Amino acid sequence: MSAMINNLLSAVADYFPMVLRKPAPRFVTERGNRVYGLVAEFTETPKVFHAAEHVRDAGYSKWDVHTPFPIHDIESAMGIKTTKLPLMAGGAALTGVTVGALLQWGTTAILFPQVVQGKPMDAWQAFLPVTFELGILFTAFMCIFGMLALNGLPRFHHPLFSHARFCHASDDTFVIAIEAEDPNFDPVKTRELLEKIGGTHITLIEDED
Amino acid sequence: MTQIAANHPAPAETAMQDAEWEARLSKIASDKRMTPDNITLEPGALSGLMKIFAGLGALGLLVTIIGGFTINPHHALAAYEVGVFTALAMTLGALFFVMVFHSLNAGWSITLRRQFENVAWMVRWVWVMMIPIVAIELISKGVLFDWLDPHKVKESHLLGLKAPYLNAGFFSFRFLLYGVVWIFLSSKLLGWSIKSDETGDRALGRKARFWSGFGIPCFALTTAFASFDFLMSLDYRFFSTMWGVMYFAAAALASTAVVTLIASRLLSKGKLVGLVHEEHFHDLGKLMFTFTVFWGYIGFSQYFLIWYSNIPEETAWYGFRQQNGWQWLFVVMTIGHFCVPFLLLIWRKVKRTPVLLTAMGVYVIVITIFDMAWIIRPMAYLNAGAEKIDPGYASGEVFLDIAGVVGVLGIFGAILVWKIGRSNLLPIKDPMLHEAMSHKNYV
Repeated sequence: MSAMINNLLSAVADYFPMVLRKPAPRFVTERGNRVYGLVAEFTETPKVFHAAEHVRDAGYSKWDVHTPFPIHDIESAMGIKTTKLPLMAGGAALTGVTVGALLQWGTTAILFPQVVQGKPMDAWQAFLPVTFELGILFTAFMCIFGMLALNGLPRFHHPLFSHARFCHASDDTFVIAIEAEDPNFDPVKTRELLEKIGGTHITLIEDED
Repeated sequence: MTQIAANHPAPAETAMQDAEWEARLSKIASDKRMTPDNITLEPGALSGLMKIFAGLGALGLLVTIIGGFTINPHHALAAYEVGVFTALAMTLGALFFVMVFHSLNAGWSITLRRQFENVAWMVRWVWVMMIPIVAIELISKGVLFDWLDPHKVKESHLLGLKAPYLNAGFFSFRFLLYGVVWIFLSSKLLGWSIKSDETGDRALGRKARFWSGFGIPCFALTTAFASFDFLMSLDYRFFSTMWGVMYFAAAALASTAVVTLIASRLLSKGKLVGLVHEEHFHDLGKLMFTFTVFWGYIGFSQYFLIWYSNIPEETAWYGFRQQNGWQWLFVVMTIGHFCVPFLLLIWRKVKRTPVLLTAMGVYVIVITIFDMAWIIRPMAYLNAGAEKIDPGYASGEVFLDIAGVVGVLGIFGAILVWKIGRSNLLPIKDPMLHEAMSHKNYV
């Protein structure tokens, strides 16, 4: 729960730095910059797959694998839990259906009763298409905006972009990035872990804010 | 500008070399899950189930026939038709899925395809069970089909106009044509599949795909017109352009349910272990969910337009079903056929747990029976001169409905169970089999 609140506060601070300052970083560099984390590079799909399993087993939670193409089943190798988006979309669907039904029933049967085409004023058949469409609309909105929110999007910049070699992650390199905000992060031990699992070009990334 | 030869293979040349083909087949054959114990049924393994089905079927048919002679021929024939068109829905849906799998080169469904083919093969027996319906209608000049009655054709202006389509000769010809198309497609598709188990001939798969391409439009037209002829013409005043799609939706839904039941029965017998698992159930569940929603969408579209336009000859069909004691079937259709399976099948857990999906399969078959009863049963009394139009619960005649459905589905199940044991439980030399073996849903 506290982790969720921290994430939320951190997101607000990202977008509105004048409203809320970011919490103090866990690690800073000698120049006083916030440490984003450590990145390591891999050159082969099986290697990065098994490396991800090692990072998962070491208990890290705030980290990511960046690949030029989708790797099947990487989510289980990373230990990513099933997304909560379907439940959110289901809630949105129920909201949409309720709003659609109440809006039509309330207006045409209660507030402003009016006979249309000789049908009963509270004919449920006439309300169904709009109710259905509103359910779909709310679900679609929740799917797209909920997905963006869960992914922390949109954002204007990411600390990893300051790392020149990171652009190879869209070409021929696999990158594992472990964030310094992870409770298990330790500048020395995390670097040792990345070396042990076969990562190369291990680099500390600063976040210049 | 330099032109580069792309070396496209000529159309007749297969993309895969023979050596590669053989290597793939031998790799599949050497898989540890492909033991004869796992992929074939021992003779008599399901004979208990078969005897139960055959006994129930014989008893049900006997009661239906006796009831038809002693109580009410209209009621008995309608009850029999409810069973026959439920069974026809299962087989036609399976035939559709087999052709779709072939024409789309589907990989995930290979381990289930033989069961779809077996169910589709059953269409010949359902067609045989339709012969008594046609014979009774033609000989007695209209039991449920009052448009076969020459007096009514003379009296009714509307029926006179529809006579060029709705007449005994053309009806019989169409009935034969449906049989030819369905039996040809289903027997060829199953036959080629079984033949490839023995020979591993590459041409058979291409043949199946070629004929599936022609088969799908033929299937669509014959299914739609069969549903017009046998179900919509029960009330010759009524017409709906959605009718064929409605019956197709019911067919596709029922066939996924039947294949789910077969797969879970085989798994409980210790067959297809590791070849059919929760990922395949997940996809069957998705198809079941899809066609639940599709049926609901089509059914509501038909009802909604008729309700809104309020034209007497169309609304009479629904109007008759919303009085005289048939109102509860309308609730069963809206809540039971759409809302309940929609809200249950939307859960990932339900689709991925074989036990839960099997329960859903039983439910879907029961609700398909109610769907056919909703279409056929009320017409038993309306066309009989409307002397008595209530469902007949008070006089205890409801046992005839149960007997008709159990009779037909019992015989259907017995023959299907016998057929399942006759061949391998999956097409063992399909080149895409490895895809189905390692099938995984990533969402």
